[in-house]
Amino acid sequence: MNTRINIGPVHPSTHGVLRLVADIDGDTVLNVEPHIGFLHRGVEKLVENRMYMQSPTYMEKLDYAAPMSYDELYVATVEKAMGVEIKERAQWVRVVLLELQRIASHLLWLGTTANDLGQFFTLFMWTMKDRDIILRLLERASGARMFYMNMRIGGLVQDLPPGFGESAQEVLDYLEKRVKKYEAYLERNPVFVGRTRGVGILNREDAISLGVTGPVLRASGVDYDTRKYNAYYVYGKLSFRPQTRSEGDVFARYKVRMLEMGESIRLVREALDRMPDGDAVGMPVRLITPGAKNREARASRETPRGEGIMYMIADPQKPYRLAIRSPTFVNLAALQHIAKDCRMADVFAILGSLDIVMGDADK
Amino acid sequence: MPISSLLAIAPLLPASISPGSLTGELIGIAEYAIAIAMVIIVFDYVFGWLERKVVAKIQKRHGPTYAGKYGLLQNMADILKLMSKQHVAPANSDRPMFLATLPAMLALTLFLVMLIPFSPTFSGSSSGFVLLIVLVLVSFMPLVIFMNGFASGNKFSAISAERSVVMLLSYEIPLVLVVATTAALTGSYSLNGIVGAQSQLWYVVLMPIGFVIFFIAMLAELERPPFDMREADSELIAGWLTDVSPPYYMLALFLDYSRMLLGSMLIAILFFGGWNGPVLPPIVWLLIKVFAIAFFIMIVRVTMVRMRIDRLLRFGWLILLPLAFVNLIVTYVLLIG
Repeated sequence: MNTRINIGPVHPSTHGVLRLVADIDGDTVLNVEPHIGFLHRGVEKLVENRMYMQSPTYMEKLDYAAPMSYDELYVATVEKAMGVEIKERAQWVRVVLLELQRIASHLLWLGTTANDLGQFFTLFMWTMKDRDIILRLLERASGARMFYMNMRIGGLVQDLPPGFGESAQEVLDYLEKRVKKYEAYLERNPVFVGRTRGVGILNREDAISLGVTGPVLRASGVDYDTRKYNAYYVYGKLSFRPQTRSEGDVFARYKVRMLEMGESIRLVREALDRMPDGDAVGMPVRLITPGAKNREARASRETPRGEGIMYMIADPQKPYRLAIRSPTFVNLAALQHIAKDCRMADVFAILGSLDIVMGDADK
Repeated sequence: MPISSLLAIAPLLPASISPGSLTGELIGIAEYAIAIAMVIIVFDYVFGWLERKVVAKIQKRHGPTYAGKYGLLQNMADILKLMSKQHVAPANSDRPMFLATLPAMLALTLFLVMLIPFSPTFSGSSSGFVLLIVLVLVSFMPLVIFMNGFASGNKFSAISAERSVVMLLSYEIPLVLVVATTAALTGSYSLNGIVGAQSQLWYVVLMPIGFVIFFIAMLAELERPPFDMREADSELIAGWLTDVSPPYYMLALFLDYSRMLLGSMLIAILFFGGWNGPVLPPIVWLLIKVFAIAFFIMIVRVTMVRMRIDRLLRFGWLILLPLAFVNLIVTYVLLIG
């Protein structure tokens, strides 16, 4: 006998305001339909009525787990529209900050996913504490803990403070140990492995045709990472390898994110070592009048959740139109495909493994 | 034999009622029930505080600190808050059933704790079949949860109720087998007898496999992670408790810790020699063991990921059940023979 049950928008593991409508037969889920829009703020429209550097604050709230990545994506789009060269040192600093943000975002994901799998907040508290160390580091670089607003056209609001490199290295050493610890803790736990391995398999062909990006795509064995194949900033100069797994299950998605944290730690170290001296401060806000150069601009970035793309038609004072391709929106749409004929408990394991942020999906 | 003679604590009776009469016996039982209810409330309170602190410590938090010394009064504040909320039953619930089940379970737990001896002199029953009665009543609890889940008229609760029965199928048979082995080893179903038989060597040494099975089954019985699929907050919101109102939720919390007391006492008595121990009085030894076991259960709670219900069934039938038989056979061949 089929039952239709409504999960959310107020539910402990819907990561905000996602609503799922599930058809279940006993403990087997026949179909899950995600319903979105509870956090829709019309960001794309809001931007049209604001001058260029008034908008990053809206952009950051799209993905509140990794605000810096959207801040940077938006500024990069405006830079393309203006045709501005980004200062050499600013490129390195941006890579450092973005990778730190990626580690912070993945740590948050790890904790919340452990919660979804039924752990009582232990890993969540641990990873939140570790994430906090990164946030403190980013606070030193930008002045804010969560919504940084640290990007300016052509550079940053301010250069890295003196002594940032050393304390960052210390933090990275600590994080490297912690990530290894989490891996050992989870992978030696037979219940965790049993709950994730072979669950929610998304094969290579489906992953490509559904258009998922980021760790979800790489866990299905596709070697696609914007940082590599559309190398922006100095990623081309760094020794960077996209992390992939071929299984495509929840465990693979977990593992890809864990490996990415290690990769990001290496990237930050390398970037800090090879960073040139010089000026990193961007253009004063009052000079920003795009339009003059390119009417259309498109930037794509590897955010922690996948490939984020912004397409902008620029007018001199305000954007005429901004379109955002948010990775969560596309990845979440894959849930209906993955969570077919699985167990009730698996729905939440799969949902967790997609790493959704509803602000990102609803825009 | 008059029932009141089973009560080691002599009932306080008015002079006009003779101890052997029916009225006298009823008063005696009521007095013992009130005494045990108070003991349970104290335990619930202390367990609740202890769990908050232990969990907080492992999670690198502080836990309650503000209300009272070491946050000891925080639970009191929470009880007051929950009590002051409005009580409602969902419109489409089976109202009498929905409202009756939680108090019924509390009463059942109270009765069970009354049956279990705290020490040779502090016990409610000296019947030779206490363990059997306890076992029957303990396995009755998931069925009451099943009733509550269906009565609440909520789909999440209904799923939780179904899970309750599946869990019962998976762990109950190994549990009964282990208890039967323990009784066979002692030659008695009396808890006093089982404790007496462990005066030299604890059963946990003689039957390590049996202990592991019993502990796992007890975790499932107590709805403790990794077997909390009935409550499963990340899947079923709160399972069979999804629709209960705050005062009833407080009862549910009391029930949770009362059952933890019950489970810890059973484990201590069956496998850790109950109140046996040097120097200190027997009841202190039992309390030490009960708290140590409860502490361990709390640590398991924060470190484990929840199991999936179908995997629990497989685990119960393919691993626990054969192991329980191995335990039975080994014990029979080596120890009883």
